[in-house]
Amino acid sequence: LLKVTQMMEWASKRSVIRMNGDKFRRFVKAPPRNYSVLIMFTALQPQRQCGVCRQADEEFQVLANSWRYSSAFTNKVFFASVDFDEGSDVFQMLNMNSAPTFLHFPSKGKPRKSDTYELQVRGFAAEQLARWVADRTDVQIRIIRPPNYAGPLLLGFLLAAIGGLAYLRRHNLEFLFNKSVWAFSALCFVLIMTSGQMWNHIRGPPYAHKNPSTGQVSYIHGSSQAQFVAETHIVLLFNAAVTMGMVLLCEAATSDMDIGKRKIMCVAGIGLVMLFFSWLLSIFRAKYHGYPYR
Amino acid sequence: MKQPGWQSLLSFSILFLACLAGFSSRLFAVIRFESIIHEFDPWFNYRSTHHLTTNGFYEFLNWFDERAWYPLGRIVGGTVYPGLMVTAGLIHYVLNLLHITVHIRDVCVFLAPVFSGLTAISTFLLTRELWNQGAGLLAACFIAIVPGYISRSVAGSFDNEGIAIFALQFTYYLWVKSVKTGSVFWTIGCCLSYFYMVSAWGGYVFIINLIPLHVFVLLLMQRYSRRVYIAYSTFYIVGLVLSMQIPFVGFQPIRTSEHMAAAGVFALLQAYAFLQYLKDRLTRQEFQTLFFLGVSLAAGMVFLTVIYLTYTGLYVRLLTCYAKIHIPIIASVSEHQPTTWVSFFFDLHILVCTFPAGLWFCIKNINDERVFVALYAISAVYFAGVMVRLMLTLTPVVCMLSAVAFSSVFEHYMGDDTKREKPPEKAEEGLGPNIKSIVTMLMLMLLMMFAVHCTWVTSNAYSSPSVVLASYNHDGTRNILDDFREAYYWLRQNTDEHARVMSWWDYGYQIAGMANRTTLVDNNTWNNSHIALVGKAMSSNESAAYQIMRSLDVDYVLIIFGGVIGYSGDDINKFLWMVRIAEGEHPKDIRESDYFTPQGEFRVDKAGSPTLLNCLMYKMSYYRFGEMQVRRGALTPPGFDRTRNAEIGNKDIKFKHLEEAFTSEHWLVRIYKVKKLDNREPLDHKLRSVVPKQKYTSKKVPLMLGGEFALQVWRDSFRFS
Repeated sequence: LLKVTQMMEWASKRSVIRMNGDKFRRFVKAPPRNYSVLIMFTALQPQRQCGVCRQADEEFQVLANSWRYSSAFTNKVFFASVDFDEGSDVFQMLNMNSAPTFLHFPSKGKPRKSDTYELQVRGFAAEQLARWVADRTDVQIRIIRPPNYAGPLLLGFLLAAIGGLAYLRRHNLEFLFNKSVWAFSALCFVLIMTSGQMWNHIRGPPYAHKNPSTGQVSYIHGSSQAQFVAETHIVLLFNAAVTMGMVLLCEAATSDMDIGKRKIMCVAGIGLVMLFFSWLLSIFRAKYHGYPYR
Repeated sequence: MKQPGWQSLLSFSILFLACLAGFSSRLFAVIRFESIIHEFDPWFNYRSTHHLTTNGFYEFLNWFDERAWYPLGRIVGGTVYPGLMVTAGLIHYVLNLLHITVHIRDVCVFLAPVFSGLTAISTFLLTRELWNQGAGLLAACFIAIVPGYISRSVAGSFDNEGIAIFALQFTYYLWVKSVKTGSVFWTIGCCLSYFYMVSAWGGYVFIINLIPLHVFVLLLMQRYSRRVYIAYSTFYIVGLVLSMQIPFVGFQPIRTSEHMAAAGVFALLQAYAFLQYLKDRLTRQEFQTLFFLGVSLAAGMVFLTVIYLTYTGLYVRLLTCYAKIHIPIIASVSEHQPTTWVSFFFDLHILVCTFPAGLWFCIKNINDERVFVALYAISAVYFAGVMVRLMLTLTPVVCMLSAVAFSSVFEHYMGDDTKREKPPEKAEEGLGPNIKSIVTMLMLMLLMMFAVHCTWVTSNAYSSPSVVLASYNHDGTRNILDDFREAYYWLRQNTDEHARVMSWWDYGYQIAGMANRTTLVDNNTWNNSHIALVGKAMSSNESAAYQIMRSLDVDYVLIIFGGVIGYSGDDINKFLWMVRIAEGEHPKDIRESDYFTPQGEFRVDKAGSPTLLNCLMYKMSYYRFGEMQVRRGALTPPGFDRTRNAEIGNKDIKFKHLEEAFTSEHWLVRIYKVKKLDNREPLDHKLRSVVPKQKYTSKKVPLMLGGEFALQVWRDSFRFS
């Protein structure tokens, strides 16, 4: 009974109670206990170099905060964490050698196999953790993430910038009518989309891949189902070069500069088109094994 | 001296050749296999068209299909876009009227290639309006062979997109014409074409948003004119009324957010025109222009907020970069994934590099129509980047703009300078014939490479019927795997006409089309809970699954198993999706983690999780497989699954409530019959044996004669019950 009050007091200060070996033995292991505890065993010290622990810790914090501020908050469920450097004896006692790990200690009985959260299968997203918690303790936690103000803030800033620009230039709105500006921005947008940036945005691939055994960096993904960010930039560049080549060709034929410059433009145009298109083809062939044409 | 006769003959023959090229390059599948409907969705369209031709148009519009989604049924008339079926039915009717007896299946198979020729013609018309005749011809040739369009319009792919792209291009052509001329005649033509598009494909939403956007941008660019006003007002009203005639669309155009932009722009245009009318009567100058701009921007904000407020629909989800986690069914369809650059290049080859140049030329030489095509390009390229399936809407505009680019280059580099109408004054002004011919030749080489690439892609990637599989041996001979049709025909000929078949939803349309049996779930996927029930049945153990199957009245279960030949699209590979969908509706009974090993792997061998090894799908797939020696090498053990490359864990499978009805030649399709309930449940315990006890004579009560025996019997019967 005293334990519950103590746990509540700690929980009211921080949603995730930090525990060391002593506290763990007293409040989690020792009976009697009429509350269940969900513990994250982690290693957050920088020298441990556990990036996953940090990300999982954030998600666990979101979960614990959502629980603390939810309407269904009782003193039956508590969230705690044990850091390896603070409670290594606990790790040894429970025979654990990997972090992060999530365990559920029910109020009655020993923890069973399903009281260990399968991190590899489910990932550490707070929603998944909440489902596991609901599964083990019949307590439903609705995940509330702190609202992300970055998006609307950026939009507001952009609108303010546009408004300010329009106001400053209100007497001279010529730049709006400059076709080259519009054409250039349209072209940029199109080139960005056709090089696969939306795929990057949704799937979040790495920039490039470093082969761990040979140390060689490859910028192009081997299969046709995925791509690297570096690869999309290369493709963007090549597409832009071919487009510029075509535009140069036409400019060379129609503009009224002197003949030498126009010839150079023409040659440069056709050279750009052929060179970059053939490079594009070779990248394509590298990904699509079995493509027979050069 | 140009002779107009030569020019039109040349145009006609080029267009004819383009149509022919488009038609023939789509025939790979028909030549290699036979004239058959491909894939899954076209089977439903074929079945509906068949129903239309046998029963008539009104029966089709009012058709309630009780053989799909048993026991719920499906209101086909109200949930389908009838344009495709009506087109095929009409062609069939006309041909039969002329006593050219063609079977409806052949009409359906060859409809898409024929319409691709018509698409080429309408693209030619549209590009000719935008640029010039030369560009038009190039565009027609491009769109005839470009793989992005062929992928959905190959012979046998009897699907909405085959005719929808034609309707799209034709509507756009008529719209551009009506904006150019401002005549009501062309606008009404545009509305009729729009009506055809609405009846053909759900993508009509693209038109009804692009045209208002075009009008809006024209207003912003101060390009308002009487023509725009007449064209859009007529188009909006008549088009709205016509589009609501389709039962599936119904009242959506005045309710959903996807159509609100059109209404908003209509209101805005009326306001703008009214102010313009006033302006002619009054004499305020600069103040009025600023007033117009302010009003347009305000209206723009209003309709943007309207879109945000009515935050529904797949199309708005596209605008917010595709939320996929919430509905697993949408996530599991591979066509709804975002696009890599490889897909762009694969489908469009050189066109994807050169169409930005065409866009540049269009914007530099802007006029009303070119605003339209620029907007079309920008919006299409965004949507194609978000979803692979929408690459199809990008393809026409890419063809048009690349044609513009190539045509500009050819115009300046081909032909002699001296024969032009305006020869340059000085001989040195021109670039010289050498450079010009080199450039021309290199461009032609690029186009030739494009044509070769298109044919290779069509032949290899987009010409498989997927109902019939083919594999090639080392010496090049072909091995045809016709298991699907074998199994469906077995079902058709050996089961009762009212039998109900349970399978995963992928095969629903094919079962309904080829086997003509009632199915539980099919590719329409409109009822997630029903699909979740089927998924739950597949993932539970046999007794729990049997209860579900009895409640759904299932007679047969059909699964696809690829372990014998190494086919990777079978049901075990899709199994996790069944579990996920079932878990979404029944989280207490099905847990995805139960089917994985403790280490988090999905394994079918001995180390697999026991829930997986005892679930219905596993048992049905691997029944009798344990004795099967797969022909691969002497050292492979019996029961070696070639798709998962593992020896299966549970070889001794016995069924209590199912029995095997049919397995196809290569074990691809397996059909099981659901047994009826037994008359009597066998007892689990042994019968108790009655051991006669010692005779007990009660000294106290004198029993009657036989009474002792009666007492004994009575006592025994008491114990027995």
